[in-house]
Amino acid sequence: MENLIAAFHEIANIHTLALMSIGAMAGLLAGAIPGFTIAMAVVLTLPFTFSMTASQGVATMIGVFVGGLSGGLMSGILIGIPGTPSSVATTFDGFPMARQGRPGLALGLGVWASFFGGTISAISLIAIAPQLARIGLEFQPWDYFALVFFALTITASLAGENLIKGLISGALGLLIATVGEEDINGVSRFDFGSDYLQEGFAFLPVLIGLFAFSQLMSDVRDRAEAKRSLAQTGDIDIRIEHMKAAKIVLSKWGNLLRSSFIGIFTGILPAAGSSISNILAYDQAKKASKHPEFFGTGIEDGIIAPEAANNATAGGSLIMMMALGIPGDIITAVMLGALLIHDVIPSPSFITESPVLAYSIFIAFFFANFLVLFLQSIALKLFVLVTRVKMYVLAGIILAYCGIGVFALNNIVNDMWTLLIFGVVGYVMRNLGFPLAPMILGVVLGPIAERWLARAVAISTDMTNFITHPWSVFFLTLSLFSMAFGLYQRDLNKKVWPLYYSPVLMLCLSPGMFMMEGWIRPVIGAALVAAGLYGLYRARQKAAVFEPSSGASA
Amino acid sequence: MRALNRDTIVAILLLLFCGLLAWSSLHIRLPGYGTLKPSTWPQIMVGVLTLFSVIYFFQSLSYGPSWPADKGRSSGLAGFFDYYRNPIVCFVIYFVFMLTLPWLGALIGGILLVFALLTVLGGWTPKDIVRHAIYATVSMGFMWSLFTFGLRVILPEGEIFSIR
Repeated sequence: MENLIAAFHEIANIHTLALMSIGAMAGLLAGAIPGFTIAMAVVLTLPFTFSMTASQGVATMIGVFVGGLSGGLMSGILIGIPGTPSSVATTFDGFPMARQGRPGLALGLGVWASFFGGTISAISLIAIAPQLARIGLEFQPWDYFALVFFALTITASLAGENLIKGLISGALGLLIATVGEEDINGVSRFDFGSDYLQEGFAFLPVLIGLFAFSQLMSDVRDRAEAKRSLAQTGDIDIRIEHMKAAKIVLSKWGNLLRSSFIGIFTGILPAAGSSISNILAYDQAKKASKHPEFFGTGIEDGIIAPEAANNATAGGSLIMMMALGIPGDIITAVMLGALLIHDVIPSPSFITESPVLAYSIFIAFFFANFLVLFLQSIALKLFVLVTRVKMYVLAGIILAYCGIGVFALNNIVNDMWTLLIFGVVGYVMRNLGFPLAPMILGVVLGPIAERWLARAVAISTDMTNFITHPWSVFFLTLSLFSMAFGLYQRDLNKKVWPLYYSPVLMLCLSPGMFMMEGWIRPVIGAALVAAGLYGLYRARQKAAVFEPSSGASA
Repeated sequence: MRALNRDTIVAILLLLFCGLLAWSSLHIRLPGYGTLKPSTWPQIMVGVLTLFSVIYFFQSLSYGPSWPADKGRSSGLAGFFDYYRNPIVCFVIYFVFMLTLPWLGALIGGILLVFALLTVLGGWTPKDIVRHAIYATVSMGFMWSLFTFGLRVILPEGEIFSIR
């Protein structure tokens, strides 16, 4: 309780709330502008957070994060182009509703669904994260390493369509993190005799270079597009119909709750972010509707579902970051990096060791949803102004800001060179089809993995510790399946073997559960065995009548 | 097996890069204390990257390029530079900004950087030039003031004008 009160004081003061408001406004605008991503907005916020306390810095970034998730609906509804991938499904019904002459109601539904989705998610975060973190206190260095190793294997899931390019990107990220003096012995690696390389690459310039710099270059690549205004919206004078929209959203509470829980669950799943949850929730809302044929024509449920889900995803991904120190998506990876800059290392013991900061994050996330609700109307007016600005003007100014911003990190000019180098690297990789998210995860998690491996080996060089500690066994098993997840996605409905993926996973996870102390976890292990065996039986039945969906053979 | 394609070339470059890193990892100093050698983790990572690069190499030969070619790009070096003109020019301008930073400083250098970027990307009619000059001065002036006075960051001071 004391921690909660202390955290409340950290956040509920004018200074922090003002910073959060600025962050939320920036997020709303960045989310609303097609071509700008939430990750980019969060990354660009980082330089400002250095002069802040850790809780203020993270609170500001949470403001940007929540604002960005809500901002995407503005452009999606008003101009039919989703500001972010997390608002793609909102466009399906939001834009038709706006074209039918009800843009104020469409925006209101989106705003209130986002608010309720975010609030439900915040409550879940406060309820689940501390419970999950208690389990983390049992971890020993072997378990920690296995956990971080599992997080690294998520890169396979982040790879998208091209698995091998995603894996290469992740491995490159891990190697980038090894350049320069290592933390454990202070020995320089891969410096090739250069003082610049000996210092290593600072995290922030790498991040801004890979994400912001390269994204800006992609935005201005087409000369004609670069000279166009962001959107041809003309003069818009819309009032968000708050009262009416709030009543409608609450009256559709079934859809709201279902979509919010889909969002939270998707957020908890590593690598499955809001870009997936909004479409999943829309799809489920359509399936559950008595009139699915109306979806796509400007139906209320079609706006509520994706907007509730995408905001709820934020809470889910924060649960994983806070409780286990695993970034669920690229935005939480950036936040994890920001905490590292403030010498706070998120891990399973994070909530116990830094309770005030942890509760500050909970409260900030809760407040951010209220702030965004309040700021949405103002942001709408600013959005209309910003859409008149040409892309190249924004890109040129933001590029200069990137340079100045990274200098602010350590007052080192070399960081500005790093920005340029990784700007080029990021741009080349984008154009060659390499996903950048795995690379960022590699840069963030690489040093953490090495540190835990060193600690584990320092205690005992006996490598069997990795298969005798139950949590280590559990996470290593998950890692194996995580690595195969990309293949699973590729072959799903095309080959037979994905039918056996989930049952075999359950069976393989059970030994780890049986090795744990107490009686609850072995019982869960037994349940996993039962579910796995039943799953195998069902998979065999399905395999007998299996027909590949698109010409692939079993 | 297919002909050499863009993915194959990238895979070969990656393998060469792996070779360079593997060679460099052999020269990492071993301090004689600590159980985990400083070279162990990087060597594991180089091994992993090499393995993935080999798979990528054979995949590119078997299945061809996995990424569509740039739409509307003419072939040849001239076509490449024409297609990527804006990004290349931006990188070059930023590079020049970095080279001149010790002399011009963050404020003057930054104003020139923004002005050059806007003019190259947006056009250089007399009206454009005036507008870009105003945008550059106002935006960089604001940023410089924010960092210098608001965040107390001492930005690079130019030797020529001695302005931070």
